[in-house]
Amino acid sequence: MTKKSNIRNFCIIAHIDHGKSTLADRLMERTGQVSQRDMEAQLLDSMDIERERGITIKLTPVRMFYKAKDGVEYEFNLIDTPGHVDFTYEVSRSLAACEGAILIVDASQGVEAQTLANVYLALENNLEILPVINKIDLPSARPDEVKAEIEEVIGLDASDAPLISAKEGLNIDDVLEAIVKHFPAPECDETAPLKALIFDSYYDNYKGVILFVRVKDGKIKPGDRIKTFRSDKVYDVVETGVFAPNLLPKGELSAGDVGYIAASIKSIQDVAVGDTVVNADNPAAEPLPGYKTVQSVVFCGIYPLDGSRFNDLKDAILKLQLNDASLIFEPDSSVALGFGFRCGFLGLLHMEIIQERIEREFGLEIITTAPSVSYKVIKTDGEEIFVDNPSHLPPVSEIEHMEEPIVKADVYSPPEYLGQIMDLCREKRGVFLQMTYLDKSRVRLEYNLPLNEIIFDFFDAIKSRTRGYASFDYELIGYERSKLVKLDILLNGDVCDALSMIVHEDSAYTRGRTLCENLKEAIPRQLFEVPVQAAIGGKIIARETVKAVRKDVLAKCYGGDITRKKKLLEKQKEGKKRMRQIGNVEVPSEVFMQILKTNKD
Amino acid sequence: MAGIYVHIPFCKSKCTYCDFASFPDKIGFAESYMACVYREMAKRKNELKNYKFNTLYIGGGTPSVVDENYIAMLVAAARKNFNLDEDAEITIEMNPGTVSEKKIKTYLNCGINRFSVGLQTAVDGQLREIGRVHDLKQFLQCAKLLKGKNFSVDVMLGLKNQTVDDVIKTVETAAYSGAKHISVYALSPEDGTPIYSDYLNGELPDGDEVAAMYAAAYAKLKELGFTRYEVSNFCKKGFESRHNLNYWKRGEYIGFGVAASSCINDVRFTNTFNLDEYFKCILSDNFAVISSEKVDEAGREEEYVMLALRTAAGINLKEYANLFGGDFLKKYSVQIEKVREYIEINGDFLKIKDEYLFVQNQIIVEFLD
Repeated sequence: MTKKSNIRNFCIIAHIDHGKSTLADRLMERTGQVSQRDMEAQLLDSMDIERERGITIKLTPVRMFYKAKDGVEYEFNLIDTPGHVDFTYEVSRSLAACEGAILIVDASQGVEAQTLANVYLALENNLEILPVINKIDLPSARPDEVKAEIEEVIGLDASDAPLISAKEGLNIDDVLEAIVKHFPAPECDETAPLKALIFDSYYDNYKGVILFVRVKDGKIKPGDRIKTFRSDKVYDVVETGVFAPNLLPKGELSAGDVGYIAASIKSIQDVAVGDTVVNADNPAAEPLPGYKTVQSVVFCGIYPLDGSRFNDLKDAILKLQLNDASLIFEPDSSVALGFGFRCGFLGLLHMEIIQERIEREFGLEIITTAPSVSYKVIKTDGEEIFVDNPSHLPPVSEIEHMEEPIVKADVYSPPEYLGQIMDLCREKRGVFLQMTYLDKSRVRLEYNLPLNEIIFDFFDAIKSRTRGYASFDYELIGYERSKLVKLDILLNGDVCDALSMIVHEDSAYTRGRTLCENLKEAIPRQLFEVPVQAAIGGKIIARETVKAVRKDVLAKCYGGDITRKKKLLEKQKEGKKRMRQIGNVEVPSEVFMQILKTNKD
Repeated sequence: MAGIYVHIPFCKSKCTYCDFASFPDKIGFAESYMACVYREMAKRKNELKNYKFNTLYIGGGTPSVVDENYIAMLVAAARKNFNLDEDAEITIEMNPGTVSEKKIKTYLNCGINRFSVGLQTAVDGQLREIGRVHDLKQFLQCAKLLKGKNFSVDVMLGLKNQTVDDVIKTVETAAYSGAKHISVYALSPEDGTPIYSDYLNGELPDGDEVAAMYAAAYAKLKELGFTRYEVSNFCKKGFESRHNLNYWKRGEYIGFGVAASSCINDVRFTNTFNLDEYFKCILSDNFAVISSEKVDEAGREEEYVMLALRTAAGINLKEYANLFGGDFLKKYSVQIEKVREYIEINGDFLKIKDEYLFVQNQIIVEFLD
């Protein structure tokens, strides 16, 4: 083993808004990577949605050169990491490509839940951690207390932590120097067989899948034949290169390097993140550790609002999947909504992002069904199946019992909101584990919660009940037996499959009542009376009635202005076309979304 | 059969629900305006020389607000420029607050033989609320002047504070006053009118209440010997408005004046809603048409069906076959099946059942493409 002593591979860990992108931009600017005038506000976050939400989803590595005070020029590879719990696995793979991690902590807000989760991930990956205290220019900054908090909560020595303001460009050089001193150079063996960790990829229309890799051992160059550890497909390397930050071809990548590989790979599904690239003619015996198959946590149905645009929706999802191996889908059909897809996501944010991208980037209006989780159903014949679509649930008589996924949730909050948080967690069937005072102003509450209770509006509820002060994080810990029932909604006596959901027995009545009330408001009056009912099994548990319409005549034809009247009728006809027929009841497509959104319970 | 419509865009004041072309502050331009209308008529003379007209409808606005001699000249101009039947139905709209014996005499002398009087409601408080310039007493005086004549009364449903009893009182007042024809319209609050804020404030009766008012008016009028021949129109036998029937039969008509609509040779066109623009167009020897649309075969059929279903008689299946070829019942069998419960087929007619005529739109849209 040798060291490439002038290379530093690292990432940045930070809570949303704590200044990750700003610091990354500053580092790039200071190392002459991007000229000031070419810089957009937040360079690394290039997707609209990311920018709007201030979070980073896509990993975008950057190579920089820094001439340190010791006179040596160093190559820095900054690997950006997503900042959200949904993408924990992606984060862990990015971390595995690095030797060090900069931990940004806000000088006034201190350590946050999300930061902590990623710090633990970094420690698991044996990374050196460099704490940096940001926003010291703010009047509310309390760097000394925050330093103490870092030492107390994380157990890191923060005495030498650079005190910076990324926004003002203050003390950025301290960070650059600390990177050189604090982070180890990569250890590597250029003569060993090739092992390169895939930490991200995207699909390029001309070059096929571009793999983002950290070469751990050996070398790779155009012309080499490669394969991945988990697939037998062999590819010819067409191009290798580095991130400057745009792709810059470079003849060879060797151990210690961070770069990209293009090998005319057609499908992103063949080259999963976390997998190891090896030389097909001289394959390494062991893969790099840490590979996991990505598992969907949250599921929902996605249907085109306009039923005739099914093929457009299919194209959109296929295109998104080119760049997102964690998006899974299969065709699905619903009596109420027609043809669509059942999709699986890493988490709620991932789901929202996909929904938003379909609408924004492909100009498609979609209907999504209530998010669901994957339930374990143990049938009377002993068979175990997983069901994420309520309409695929076997008949009650065939179910021995059901289990639901449970998460361990950490909530961080100022102590004054403890009551509200505990109430909320109790309402959501949470099991209290423990409470830890981090300091005078911050408490950590740990709960076990059923995942299906938090996929609706838990995040919003916690934010609103704590006026935005609490933060929340969760990880899946397993399945537990639970009293679950399928709640059906009947319109004029017909079950509307798109509105069925699996809920806990105790909340079924409330949910059913709320749904009926909401539907009563949302369904337009028809020529006949429409009963709206909620049912468990064959038993009706709630009912509302949409009264029959009694008046719909338009104004008189003044002066023979028939064109105007025709237009009004045509508009009404258009509205009708956008409705879904459930039995003989016409329901506007929007209802399906309103129902989910107004579901306050 | 073809009709002539003339729009008189002047009023004493604007009612709070009014969304039509009427300019109370421009009444001083009435003389010039009428001159322009005569000129517009003359400009259409050649184009329409082969048409035979059998109705003339002078609407507004408030036609009775302008000097009655202008109206007489208008009727004369219509006769001079077009082949208007000797026994044509000639209607003028009137506001009871703007009539006099002298006016009515002039109207009768020039050949006007039908009067449409806007009562709206027989409750004075409600008349004030909606900005009408007359009260119940003035309506009764007006009706007295029209005694024995063919006149119609407009009634509105859905006014602020209006009750079912108020509606019954209003239609009774109209019927007892000697009207041969009564129109019952549901108020439609339009954005931009003063009444729209009442609507937004939830101060107007809701759809169910209006439906109850309509049902009460329908029952009362039936009792008083009026037949409903279109969703909003009731009359004593033989007193249908021929001018309006022509609209519902997709007949041809030519409109003159601001905002007037026309349908000639399957082209629908509308004049400008702007008074100044109208003046400029006519005075520069142009027409004042701002939009025009040729109705294609499918559009004609759609209009025919949509308009016929408004009427109590419904679609005349034989007439349909003559106009469009083919069997309506076969061609629309899917749609008919869908609304089967709400329609009835009787000999040569397919109509919306009486009890569903007031919710006709949902049924009509099924027949539109």
